[in-house]
Amino acid sequence: MFNKAALFALFFCLWTIAAYSDTPAQQAQQTLSIIKPDAVASNHIGEIIARFEKAGLCVGAIKMVKLSKQQAEDFYSVHKDRPFYAGLVAFMTSGPIVAMVLAGPGAIEKNRNLMGATDPAKAAPGTIRRDFAESLQRNAVHGSDSVATAEFEIAFFFLPSEILR
Amino acid sequence: MPERTLSIIKPDAVSKNQIGNIIERFEKAGLLIVAARMLHLSKQQAEQFYAVHKERPFYKDLVNFMITGPVLVMVLEGDNAIVKNRDIMGATDPKKAAPGTIRADLASSIDENAVHGSDSPETAKNEIGFFFKSQEISPRTRRK
Repeated sequence: MFNKAALFALFFCLWTIAAYSDTPAQQAQQTLSIIKPDAVASNHIGEIIARFEKAGLCVGAIKMVKLSKQQAEDFYSVHKDRPFYAGLVAFMTSGPIVAMVLAGPGAIEKNRNLMGATDPAKAAPGTIRRDFAESLQRNAVHGSDSVATAEFEIAFFFLPSEILR
Repeated sequence: MPERTLSIIKPDAVSKNQIGNIIERFEKAGLLIVAARMLHLSKQQAEQFYAVHKERPFYKDLVNFMITGPVLVMVLEGDNAIVKNRDIMGATDPKKAAPGTIRADLASSIDENAVHGSDSPETAKNEIGFFFKSQEISPRTRRK
């Protein structure tokens, strides 16, 4: 039943789990990713998801939704008093978004590295924002910034039963 | 007049992390994703979805395969979306699929063939209704 390649893959997985299990950031982690209205409208959903998958992040849940104003305000309530809040809410409700749970070792940090700096002008070459974002506000993607934020943001969009991998 | 079709990324392609690769092909061909959801089909849902094939010899295996892992269901929209999607997928049997099609590139067998696509306007309507309520479909409100 098992060929050599499958056995090798199995042992490699077990080795990886064993080798990294003592460093918390490397444990299997979940993070929330959003493809924002600008990147959905410019039809970059596939290219963005492909970057996550190629980097070893596994997509555990996906939902395309059009946020209501109330939902966008609740999601970004931590930024309520910041000057960019109203503009951000208006932008996030301007079209559908794709919300996803990404899973894998160090998923939060890995996702942030793939996205690049918040301001696309400062984002490193080869990052999602450098390649697809138009401006600081219309910056293509969102990613959770900490373990606590990831928990809140994942629960905002998904029931535990909707997270499948 | 833009048309809509149902696309499913099947458990084999999801588990091989080819979701982005497949969606990229649709988007580059001018098809818009207007609805998407990942779910794990129950046996009953898979049986209902493929009820039209109930009497066919492959029915049981197909149902069993479709519940082996999560799938991504999507509504694709665009001119001639049904035919265009079928061209991008390639022939049902990956061995007969033209080079550059999803099935030639990513499918391993006629059973585990990576993707499903509606085959007619009537099927598309039924299949879209099977997975999505009309309020779960998000027509594009902005071009860019």
